[in-house]
Amino acid sequence: MNIANTQNLLILGGVLFSIGMVGFLTRRSMILLFLSLETMLAGVSINLIAFSRLHLNYQGQILAIMVLTVAACEAAIALALVVSLYRRKATLDVEAWDELSETLVPKEPEDAIPSVHGSVSEPVHEFPKLVPAGLDPLAKPVPSSLEGALETTVHSKSSRSTEATTRA
Amino acid sequence: MWVVAQQQIDPGNLARVPGTSFPGHFSKVMLASVILGAVAYWLMQYGVVKNKVMNWVGMALFGVGIILAFAAVPSEDPTALIRFCFSVLAVSGAMGFVVAREPVHAALGFATAVLSSCGVLFMQEAYFVAAATMIVYAGATIIIFLFVLMFAQQTNLRAYDIKLTRPWLAAGIATALVITITWSVADEGEILPIKIDTTRVNSLAAQPLSDNGTPPMPTKDMSGKQVASFVPSKTAGLGRAMYTDYLMAIELAGTILLVATIGAIVLAQRPAEVKS
Repeated sequence: MNIANTQNLLILGGVLFSIGMVGFLTRRSMILLFLSLETMLAGVSINLIAFSRLHLNYQGQILAIMVLTVAACEAAIALALVVSLYRRKATLDVEAWDELSETLVPKEPEDAIPSVHGSVSEPVHEFPKLVPAGLDPLAKPVPSSLEGALETTVHSKSSRSTEATTRA
Repeated sequence: MWVVAQQQIDPGNLARVPGTSFPGHFSKVMLASVILGAVAYWLMQYGVVKNKVMNWVGMALFGVGIILAFAAVPSEDPTALIRFCFSVLAVSGAMGFVVAREPVHAALGFATAVLSSCGVLFMQEAYFVAAATMIVYAGATIIIFLFVLMFAQQTNLRAYDIKLTRPWLAAGIATALVITITWSVADEGEILPIKIDTTRVNSLAAQPLSDNGTPPMPTKDMSGKQVASFVPSKTAGLGRAMYTDYLMAIELAGTILLVATIGAIVLAQRPAEVKS
């Protein structure tokens, strides 16, 4: 009796997991991505409970409680992340955060801008520019020989702060 | 302390839980059911935006797939029908969640799926886990509703809600996964016997298994007194197992919760103003 029960439950868990995976792969709204993850976790905990019933012990239920704990933590952290990401770009689209992915990987063909030769355009790399060695960017006066170099290389924010300190 | 405790474990002292073999076969009906479900998903996710007829055809295919699945799965005990109804509700809710474009409708589908799977858990006599799941997920779903109402205007849908990224590819991957899982579950095989560590103090696993198919239930408390309580014996046994055999795991779970709370507070803070 228990074997057929377990088999059905394992299939149910697999189906729920797969549907959650489909949601995770296709959806683009961050909140719904998070809900897809929760669906996958529900499938996993059905699996665990099924094995707990089969073996007649509590190991599976303890593991299901652990899964539940992780799901709750994930809910808290994911919602906090969604809030702080929404504050920056005012959208829930995950593709707005595309720049966090690897820059060396060419874009997907449907999004790439076709160039004249029909090839995928390479992204332009911008490397950070450093202050010339041995100089404190906040120190004044700057040696006259290096004044020009500093103006061109120092990041705009730090140059603004040097102006502020000189005014003070 | 730890080293001493681990040295005391004698392999001969471990109780064995015997394995059982899976009799079964992977029927072509099940294969057809899975593929029908995938086709129904593709039709519904397309039809919900573009074409109403395709949506209805997809729903009809989904229903046929469910009927085929009912014909395919073995159902021997009398409660199988109720369990099957819960399973159908769960899968339909999950399907609606994946297909629906309105975020609120998707959240409703998610709630249906999770609550129905809680019903399945109840039928497996995992009362505490089912109740806790219900509380956690119901709370999570209400919060999601709040977020959706806050962030997404209900009047018009956004482009990122309507356009899915490559649904046919995802459906193909998921179909392959479900077929593999179903195949390996329904194939004949044996579950290897497992060993349980029974050397802990007051270990629940050390109690002998009862014959009528129930997990060991404590009838005495830790000091040896007979207990009479209204707590179901399964839940009492789970609590006892939690605080004897799996104490470390439960403490770790508490730690994870604490760390996650701190992390959520830190993440949700407004970034401090830069003083110029």
